[in-house]
Amino acid sequence: MVDGLGQLYTIEGVAAGILMVFTAYLVISSTTVITPQDIHIIDLQLEQLGNDALAILDTPDSLGEKSLLQRQIENDGGNAFGENFSRIINSKVNPLEVDNLKFSAILYYRDISSGNTLSIPINNSATYLREKAVKVKRWVYVNPVPPCSNPFGLNTRNQTVLVEVLLWRG
Amino acid sequence: MARLTDEAQWIVMMGFIVSITIFILAIIIGESALIGKTTSESVLEFSKADVQDLRAEIMTLKDKGILYGNPIDKSSVLEDISNLSLQRRNAVVYVTNWTDKIEHMRYIYIHFNNGITDYNEVYDEYDY
Repeated sequence: MVDGLGQLYTIEGVAAGILMVFTAYLVISSTTVITPQDIHIIDLQLEQLGNDALAILDTPDSLGEKSLLQRQIENDGGNAFGENFSRIINSKVNPLEVDNLKFSAILYYRDISSGNTLSIPINNSATYLREKAVKVKRWVYVNPVPPCSNPFGLNTRNQTVLVEVLLWRG
Repeated sequence: MARLTDEAQWIVMMGFIVSITIFILAIIIGESALIGKTTSESVLEFSKADVQDLRAEIMTLKDKGILYGNPIDKSSVLEDISNLSLQRRNAVVYVTNWTDKIEHMRYIYIHFNNGITDYNEVYDEYDY
């Protein structure tokens, strides 16, 4: 016997199929599952930004000249570094806007008489209260011979010091 | 022709069950992404900046004439780098340089190893 029963089944089957596909679409498109792995993207961008900022500061304007970072360690002091670094990391495309990244910079150097690694704070824009931060570092060649004011009290010799900057969004 | 019976209710119910199953499966898949290694994680782990920075510093020392100047200056600067690397970067860094008088070449050997990344480079240039 031939009747229209099969057609009805087919129509309802198609309806159920559409329902399933639509549900799957809703689930996939409407929910963004934030997993802990995604925070690494932010860390990555922050670290890249910090490394770039230090690289900018440690690049001399022309060959043989001193870089800005070298001048700041030898002569200008921590406030000059803070101003420059803060401006670079907080720059946005719109010049009227500023970002709110905070940093804390420390200088590590080897004391030639004792052979120990000593540290001295350079500058910080806020107190670090265990926010989620990344650390960026940069080697800097310095030689704080007079007439440099040598604000960090380094040994007067050719040396390489390490600038470590803790960077976080505050 | 077409008749309405309660057969359709079963089909609709099956549709709902399958839909809910897909929903639950989606949640499970979302959770399973907790485990795994992301691209950004790998990039963070790879010490690209350390290697680039070290190399840039050695090139600065070369340009400043430290590497080919006073041997006391040179050894103390290289000791700065090795000591600070070991203490602040957990990396073994060894740098040495030599001049080949016969070939008129100058070489700089840079070794960096932080346990994950091992980097070795021999930089050479013509010795005028």
